[in-house]
Amino acid sequence: MASLLPRATKRLRLSPPSGFVCHDCRRAFGSSVCQSQQQQPAPSQHVSQSEKTTHFGFETVAEELKASRVRTVFSSVAANYDTMNDLMSLGIHRLWKDHFVRSLNPGIRPASTASSPQATPGQTILDIAGGTGDIALRLLDHATTINHDPRTNVIISDINPEMLAEGRKRFATSPYYSTSTNRRVSFLEANAEDLSAIVSNSIDLYTVAFGIRNFTHKQVALQEAFRVLKPGGVFACLEFTPRLSNPLMNGIYKRWSFGAIPLIGQVVAADRESYQYLVESIERFPSQSEFAGMIEEAGFMVPGGERGVEGELESGWEDLSLGIAAIHKGVKPVSR
Amino acid sequence: MALRTILRAPAAVRPLLIQPRALYHSYEHNEPPPYRDAESAILSSALAHVPLHGFTEEALSLGAKEAGYLDISSNLFPKGAFDLVTYHLVTQRLGLKDRIQFHDEKIGVGRKVRSLVLERLRANVDAGVVGRWQEALALMSLGENIPRSLKELSGLSDEIWFLAGDMSVDTSWYTKRATLAGIYAATEIYQTTDQSTEFRDTEQFLDRRLEESRVAGSAVGNTLEWIGFQGGAMVNLMRSKGARI
Repeated sequence: MASLLPRATKRLRLSPPSGFVCHDCRRAFGSSVCQSQQQQPAPSQHVSQSEKTTHFGFETVAEELKASRVRTVFSSVAANYDTMNDLMSLGIHRLWKDHFVRSLNPGIRPASTASSPQATPGQTILDIAGGTGDIALRLLDHATTINHDPRTNVIISDINPEMLAEGRKRFATSPYYSTSTNRRVSFLEANAEDLSAIVSNSIDLYTVAFGIRNFTHKQVALQEAFRVLKPGGVFACLEFTPRLSNPLMNGIYKRWSFGAIPLIGQVVAADRESYQYLVESIERFPSQSEFAGMIEEAGFMVPGGERGVEGELESGWEDLSLGIAAIHKGVKPVSR
Repeated sequence: MALRTILRAPAAVRPLLIQPRALYHSYEHNEPPPYRDAESAILSSALAHVPLHGFTEEALSLGAKEAGYLDISSNLFPKGAFDLVTYHLVTQRLGLKDRIQFHDEKIGVGRKVRSLVLERLRANVDAGVVGRWQEALALMSLGENIPRSLKELSGLSDEIWFLAGDMSVDTSWYTKRATLAGIYAATEIYQTTDQSTEFRDTEQFLDRRLEESRVAGSAVGNTLEWIGFQGGAMVNLMRSKGARI
């Protein structure tokens, strides 16, 4: 059965009407069927051929439109973003985020401050697409309680003001933002592909959790991350993966994500379209190996990255929950 | 394609299986360096902090700072302190051939093995990690690290037999490496608790283990030989009684 899929893929590629491909892809959820479509994005009717296009879920839209459409999606989901995350991932997203932050170990370590406790400045962390602030809060908690570093601060950046408003609401009750004397959080409304508000070589840690999938130009965003990071700074990304390595589990998982998530969105948030986009955008994200290659291309050193026989990266990321999500890291090298 | 994914070994088992890199010692081709420049810079300066801070994240981040990196750069090492342990193991294994050279052709393989093991243990002393080696052993014995640790141990055992000039091409190739790996691991554990001057007790411990393996090896060999003779005699006896064997 599995060996038939490539043949089916070939057949699909020959058939001219694109509408059929799209429909089949939605129904079959078969990974290789969708892959073939990824190679040849079917132009939909409302985009003229001359314009540069990108994908928005399974749709194809003009590049300029994607950012605004992503903004619309997240404006509509902002209010019940956290509740929905809990329902969709059965609460597992909290474990992923906790693990993500713990493995990063943000904050100046006690051993480094032993010689000059007062002189050492804290770290500057940039949390991209971190509107609701759940990663930022975890980062600050870890730095303060684990590493006893009260100086590290976080810049929360998001393209979407509604999501940032959620973050402000969350931080209003936390000790990091409520006191006006020692504010350790700042909010920035910016597109991750153009962080002109941030000076080059100024950031210790750049995190993006479940955000980079929505960027129009991922490579540009990676290069921008490389620019703002200090030499030795770390790029860290927590993101869904398009498919699980185990085909059986992948089938079950795709049933869940395409069947249940839009439904939960419809019932709880009364917004099926946004959640349909969410699962489709996961399908369109590059695989772990491809994305690690993109990080390397931007100039980062990928931790533990080993190349296989065919030259593709075989390791250098960490799969979470059978590979539903993955943590990618990159370290900006110090030039000598 | 999908079939290939199913048949592929799971990621955890892969390090134990055949690697794309050569499994043999090549005289013509130099192995690529096992670590990138930045990694070796950080790890080697981190090792200098091991006597004080142990095999810990602190040593790593101090090493990173010394190499011009930041605290956070220790994220370059996904396994944290265990990567520091593996760095020590790998560099000492590869450095063994430069630490000791045999000019006298008359020394037996057994004596060469003994000197190589002692030299490798002395490298632990020279690096100043003996006092902290129990921490390293604890890290190596964690479930997730066992495959990598065993691979490194067998690599060291192989390296020692190679440097000793072992040319065996039969099954003893495997038993020799397995036995030496066991002896080395035991001696290394003994070394961590050794209080004697210049680790003389460790040396004696090693001698006893090598002697035991020699005695046990010859006992096993003799027994097998005896079984072989008895079997042959039995067959001949049956034949003499008219059985068609």
